[in-house]
Amino acid sequence: MNKHDAARRAFLVRAAAGAGAVAGAGLVPGAFAETQEQAKEAVPSSAAPMHANVHANREIQGAFFNHADAATMAAFVERIMPGAPGKPGARDADVLNYIDLALSGAYSDLQEFYRQGLAQLGVYCGAKYKKQFAQLSAAQQDEVLTALDEGKATGFAWPTAQAFFNTVRTHTMEGMFADPIYGGNKDFAGWELVGFPGAQMFYSPKDMESKEAFSRAPIMGLQTGLTKISMGPSNGPARKG
Amino acid sequence: MATEKTDVVIVGVGAAGGILAAELGKAGMKVIGLERGPRLTTADFAPHDELRYFQRMDLRPSNKRQPITWRQNANVRATPMSILNYGNQAGGGTVHYGALSWRFHEDDFRVRSHTIERYGAKAIPADSSVADWPLTYADLEPYYDRAEYELGVSGKAGNLQGRKIDGGNIFEAPRRREYPLPALHPDQCGVLFNEGASKLGYHPFSSPRAILSQPYQDRPSCTYCGYCQSFGCHVGAKSSILVTKLPEADATGNFKLLTGTMVYHVNTDNSGRATGVSYYGPDGSDNTIEAELVILAPFIYDNVRLLLLSKTEKFPNGLANSSGQLGKHMTAHIMAKVFAAFDDRYVNVYMGPSAQKHALDDFNADNFDHSGLDFIRGAQICIGPADLEAGPIGTAMSLEPPPGTPRWGAAYRDFAAKYFNRYAAIVAQTENLPYADQAIDLDPYVRDQWGLPAPRITYNWKRPNELARVEFLMQKMEGIGRAMGASKVWRGGLGPGAPGAHHEGGARMGRDPKTSVVNRYSQSWDIPNLFLMGSATHPTMAGFNPTLTIQALAYLTADAIVNRYKKNPGPLL
Repeated sequence: MNKHDAARRAFLVRAAAGAGAVAGAGLVPGAFAETQEQAKEAVPSSAAPMHANVHANREIQGAFFNHADAATMAAFVERIMPGAPGKPGARDADVLNYIDLALSGAYSDLQEFYRQGLAQLGVYCGAKYKKQFAQLSAAQQDEVLTALDEGKATGFAWPTAQAFFNTVRTHTMEGMFADPIYGGNKDFAGWELVGFPGAQMFYSPKDMESKEAFSRAPIMGLQTGLTKISMGPSNGPARKG
Repeated sequence: MATEKTDVVIVGVGAAGGILAAELGKAGMKVIGLERGPRLTTADFAPHDELRYFQRMDLRPSNKRQPITWRQNANVRATPMSILNYGNQAGGGTVHYGALSWRFHEDDFRVRSHTIERYGAKAIPADSSVADWPLTYADLEPYYDRAEYELGVSGKAGNLQGRKIDGGNIFEAPRRREYPLPALHPDQCGVLFNEGASKLGYHPFSSPRAILSQPYQDRPSCTYCGYCQSFGCHVGAKSSILVTKLPEADATGNFKLLTGTMVYHVNTDNSGRATGVSYYGPDGSDNTIEAELVILAPFIYDNVRLLLLSKTEKFPNGLANSSGQLGKHMTAHIMAKVFAAFDDRYVNVYMGPSAQKHALDDFNADNFDHSGLDFIRGAQICIGPADLEAGPIGTAMSLEPPPGTPRWGAAYRDFAAKYFNRYAAIVAQTENLPYADQAIDLDPYVRDQWGLPAPRITYNWKRPNELARVEFLMQKMEGIGRAMGASKVWRGGLGPGAPGAHHEGGARMGRDPKTSVVNRYSQSWDIPNLFLMGSATHPTMAGFNPTLTIQALAYLTADAIVNRYKKNPGPLL
């Protein structure tokens, strides 16, 4: 992982972990504590000291999202696929990184879709809760997503609430389950969640006849060198040089 | 701007165009093939990448550069559809297809006559334009046989010269000999489907697929990796045109392929003959090919669009359209789904060739008595993943959770984690009837990257006949799911009425120049040196995937051109 990649990851990890710190004032103590608690499971402790002073280091930047939008998206995708012990979720898979990279590349035609979707979401949450999405409790965030999913959230023109929700859901699933080469599915988190062995080049008759889970490890990705060693905490964001 | 002369120009070298390139080249005709996309190789297809090929559909035409628009009826504005399931490279859709290789039934070729004979004329919906084909199964059987053996299809006969054989499809029309290759090794959803359907007295079997179960013609057998539908085969075991007919065409020394070329006009002269085509090169150049024989073999939308775009004073309604039928009578399959989930075992549906793995034909065509039912025709029912491909992205997009389980959040996560390897989808591929107002024309508002009007579809499959049939099939499929021992069985949704898979029609073949666009040889009634290949010519669609029928018709046309037309150019009828 080169220095730029490390810095990107640092930005996105903080967006995922420290939504309140990014957004500034108005934290709900409970929600913040919960977010921080979840973050401890996912974020290497060496990264923690950087949370409080995001803007101090100017080289730290996502490929597309600004800090506030990254915080919103981190919270959004985690509610779509929430992590739990033994069950990797969107944060564990680095879904935010996947979407951030996709919007700066393959999906660049969706940049305005996301900008306006996030802006409308901000207005909706501000009017209804007097807070930003990332600052809401998990239950409130689910309430918002339900309103989007069902098309009941008011004030959305383009994209519509449902179109925005459906697109984010689709991109969350892509970030969970696409090959790690695209920036999500970190450490094959998504494939481990569902028990998918990746791009195996063959199955034997015995494999085909089994009524059990397939267990011929390893999980195969596009880059066999892209293992837990190069993707993992030892190359985490706080490491310099 | 370049001008070239040749004997034959073929627009689109996919399922049909590739066969014609090989056959006409072998007959000594100089052939130029024009292909919009690239020519890829087997080496391009490893390792497999679900995001690129399934989700982002990299082997299909981009809906941004080459949009196709759709509207439910003529009173609303059409909007661009998501990417459709056809090809965008040499080999066409056969590069990425699931490789299902069916022969149609005898009655599939004479739906109108057969229905009237058995149920009376009133059984046909008044607004449906179902028609007989201008040829019979017996006419096409030698060409089905040839396609199966030349390409390499795996399966088990169920009707050998009239003798019914258990384990094959006993409803199939008689075939002269066995498949060239034995059926593919069954996976666990196939085993479960076989057991469950057999308990109910149905007749399940391994679907015939153009995937090698054993080495054949110097190609290796299938590795059962599961990356078929949406993917190119990484060992060349899928009998795509790319690895079968294009090398054969190359070997004739008479074939030249121009990739990255977009044909925008079929040229005609004052005598009403086609003189060739004009195309944009990959560098934007405007070029012409002059040819004695023009064969259009792209997917149905470009076939119809090219003819409409090529109108002249002599042909004011588009080429090959004196009947006024061009663009009409379109139809497409839909995939009605029932999901089955198993708590007590794994199914591992991602193993083995991915699409329509095992099937039953008991409720297809007129294989069952429709007396007392409020619909005609049926569907092939098959087992497989939720959307023909079984990777986790495809599953997340297409495996709809059961009622009561949301599609996001912790409960969805737990559903996905538990059932990804423990489910299968039972799918009915319905023979939707043609209706004259299901049509393709030129969109007045939307243009493609070359500035050409986009093809526009006006279509809604949700007709009384079609809805009644889906309800009937859903109940049958729920029964199959329960008989398979599933702990949960539930229905999938039906969508908004858009065309699903295997779009057909728009340039139907027939016996009468007044009511059809081409004759039984796919030759234009109006312009004898113009042939239109592919599913656009199909008057009805059967419940089966169309590719083998497209290929059999291509062999029939090749024979007619080589043995008759070449010596005496002109109308074959």
